[in-house]
Amino acid sequence: MSSVIHTVRLPVGSMPAVKVGARVQPEDVLATRRPPTDGVTLQVAAPLRLPASEASECLMVRAGATLKRGEVIARDAAGHEVIVPEACLFLGYDPDHGTALLSPLGEEEPILGHVRGKVARLAPSAIDVRVAGAVLVGVAGSGAAVHGRLRVSVDDATDELRAGAIDSDATGRIVVGGSRASAETLTRARAMGVAGVVLGGVLDKDLRDFEATQKRRREVGGGGGDFSIVLLEGYGKIGMDPGVFGWLRGHDGKMVSLFGDTARLYVYDADEPPTRRLLATPGDRVVGTRRPYAGAGGRLVRILAGQHVVSSGVSARAGLVRFEDGRTGIVPLANLEATEVPAGG
Amino acid sequence: MTVAIDTELALLVDTGTAWTKAGVIGRVRGRWRLVAHAAQPTAWGEEELMRRLVEQLAASSDPRLTGRFNELLARATRVECRTPPRAARLAVVAVSRELSGSAARRAAEAAGWHVTEMVTFDDGRTLAERVALLQSLEVDAWLVAGGFDDARSARALEAAALVAAARRPGGPPVVWAGSSELAQEVRGLFEKGAATAVANPRPDARGEEPAGLRTHLQALLRQTVGPEDEERLTPVALPRAIGALAAATGFRVLAVDVGATTAMRVLAEPDGTTESRVHARGGLAGATLLPGAPGRVVRIDVDAGDEAAVADLLHNLHARPASLPQTVEELAATHAAARLLLGSLVEDGTGGSLDLLIGAGRVIAAAPHPAQAMRMLLDGVRPVGVTQIAVDGGALLGPLGSLTDAEISEGLALLADDLLIPLGTAVVCRGGEAGRVAMRVTVHRAGWPAHGPVEVRTGQVQVVPLPRGQEAELTIEPANGVTLGGVRRSPRITATATGGTVGVVLDARGVPIGLPRRADDRRAVVAGWRDALMREAPPGAERVA
Repeated sequence: MSSVIHTVRLPVGSMPAVKVGARVQPEDVLATRRPPTDGVTLQVAAPLRLPASEASECLMVRAGATLKRGEVIARDAAGHEVIVPEACLFLGYDPDHGTALLSPLGEEEPILGHVRGKVARLAPSAIDVRVAGAVLVGVAGSGAAVHGRLRVSVDDATDELRAGAIDSDATGRIVVGGSRASAETLTRARAMGVAGVVLGGVLDKDLRDFEATQKRRREVGGGGGDFSIVLLEGYGKIGMDPGVFGWLRGHDGKMVSLFGDTARLYVYDADEPPTRRLLATPGDRVVGTRRPYAGAGGRLVRILAGQHVVSSGVSARAGLVRFEDGRTGIVPLANLEATEVPAGG
Repeated sequence: MTVAIDTELALLVDTGTAWTKAGVIGRVRGRWRLVAHAAQPTAWGEEELMRRLVEQLAASSDPRLTGRFNELLARATRVECRTPPRAARLAVVAVSRELSGSAARRAAEAAGWHVTEMVTFDDGRTLAERVALLQSLEVDAWLVAGGFDDARSARALEAAALVAAARRPGGPPVVWAGSSELAQEVRGLFEKGAATAVANPRPDARGEEPAGLRTHLQALLRQTVGPEDEERLTPVALPRAIGALAAATGFRVLAVDVGATTAMRVLAEPDGTTESRVHARGGLAGATLLPGAPGRVVRIDVDAGDEAAVADLLHNLHARPASLPQTVEELAATHAAARLLLGSLVEDGTGGSLDLLIGAGRVIAAAPHPAQAMRMLLDGVRPVGVTQIAVDGGALLGPLGSLTDAEISEGLALLADDLLIPLGTAVVCRGGEAGRVAMRVTVHRAGWPAHGPVEVRTGQVQVVPLPRGQEAELTIEPANGVTLGGVRRSPRITATATGGTVGVVLDARGVPIGLPRRADDRRAVVAGWRDALMREAPPGAERVA
């Protein structure tokens, strides 16, 4: 069984809640932090009975400092003190009004890892979690971190994910589609409580329409859980690599974590997925990355001698590819990625 | 092409983030020539690159060298430059978006930093949102700006305090580019040595003085991304080569390099002094970030396809920067995106007319047709006046710039014939009334009858073929209200044009290019310009659109 490291970044001011070696679940709190809240002013000059312009000399802390509740912010020569009523950030002193600008720290908030694994490293800025399983890295994505069971909802890597394929069984799942999903399908998935969607491609227009719908929904107070999308191949109607699709199908029903912002899909207790190599050689199984062969899988039959001029007029090293959809084409090698199934996969 | 049996070879390598270009220089009949050239995705690795170069050498060299090319390349003098593999990230915290913020941001981007976030007091966020955002950032440096030099701005100090609250002790350096009155106070907010004060890019309400900040940020960038071999970084090497070229020719030179991820402009004066700017996300992968990019691409290119397809393409350029356009539509959209990127690269002007405009980067220098490269450079840069246009086809300038000053000059002289691919000369005018003659141009070539006068109407572009290696005297008569950029002392302007693979381009489309409002008209006009540049014509005949 393979394993991978997932890094959880910690904002400044976070306090780790786990130790190295601890086993964590996706919903476990790995750290906590008290986020800053909106600014308040604290009288400094008046309690010290000093002119506003002179009270700055009495400040005991520098701007940017984090202060604990009851900590002294200013003290005059006679020992009179001004203390902060609650934990806060001190962000500046106004010499015209004699006040300090504070940002009180809010209620403690949890920082979730969203992955299952074992804490491998703790650092002030990050926590590394070793995940027993495999990771698929896409080319783009959006949305927050989510987790759920994997559900393959199309029959073929080139199929479009239709709204009809999203039913009540998909609630809480990470749904695997094929070559695209329309804005309507994504909206339905969100409405049905789907946690996330993994696709070969999506039209930029569909994604923007969907995101606009979500924005409007948030503005009118529509709730609902987080939702995440990851694209494995690119933008447009692009089928998923059949090898990867087959691998995902083999792990249907398994627990996964999906990170839209970093385009990562962690599949727990999974063997390694098919990998990609950039320089294909004759005999390799390849996947096209640009039109008109984007997402199409095939076999690189041979590499043409010298440079070849493709239909755009671009001169490049190219190879003859027999695609699995029946097409045969000459493709720049720069637009091909060789797929490799790991040993034992 | 033949390599002498006792030849010495030099290997010039330009490693970009997506593509690596390599040229082999060898002695051919007593002269140094480019004898092999290869370009490939950087991820393919050195071994593959050498294999390609050996193949080319074997096909074109003295058969007695067969079997020795690997050895010859292994001991060849290696001259190389490289683009830093990752962009250095910087956060800007400033008082106002329009004044201190935009000045700081422009200076940072011009120095090659990727501005990951800009926080200002008028950005619509609450204080809590600002602090929370800054505390979550992962950057290589902080830039704080605000306040004029003669004032103590409490807001500017608050901006510095925000950074102090968001930055971990011992974290990335802080650059204070605000009121000089506050410099000492701001330094006191951080541990010793963490904050540096530089000249305020907005010292007063009258204008910007970004040079000091830009220079400091350029030095800081080099420390951040490649402290070991600074002279080999392309942002350092390319300006050195362009500066040497300007000094050697006495030309005012602008080089624009649109790479896969970054873009760069270098402006060199005839005395060799240079001013360069690197835009960390100004390359093709960054086209998707340009406001309204898909719509603008479709507007300026009739072959690019529909807007939705262009939007997908621009994202895919970001996702797979080393891939190539295989369809006509994708190539057209990519070239149109490059024109937009060039436009934003020179949006603040070039400070006067240019003698030589050089295009670099794969999308320009390796365009399938020279006229496509010419079109990108002309449409993107709009060089008003009479300008020689060339491309760095062999990607030799960057590596040459990593040599010592003396070696750069020597290299430029030795490689004179192969250094640049001349596309021709452009005559670009500004002004004029629609449909009226904007300029009349007569082309005089030694031994040929005078050609013209060619009448170029406002909104037209015409091409007069002039082969590489040939020169012609141009007599240009601009109409009233039409300018070629300089001060006009006579109704006729004479200039020398050098030939190239495209020829002499007479361009009266205006600056910026004026496009018809109606979509059908626009498509017809844009297609006409494309055809005028692309059409093959017999020598002496002009191509009109």
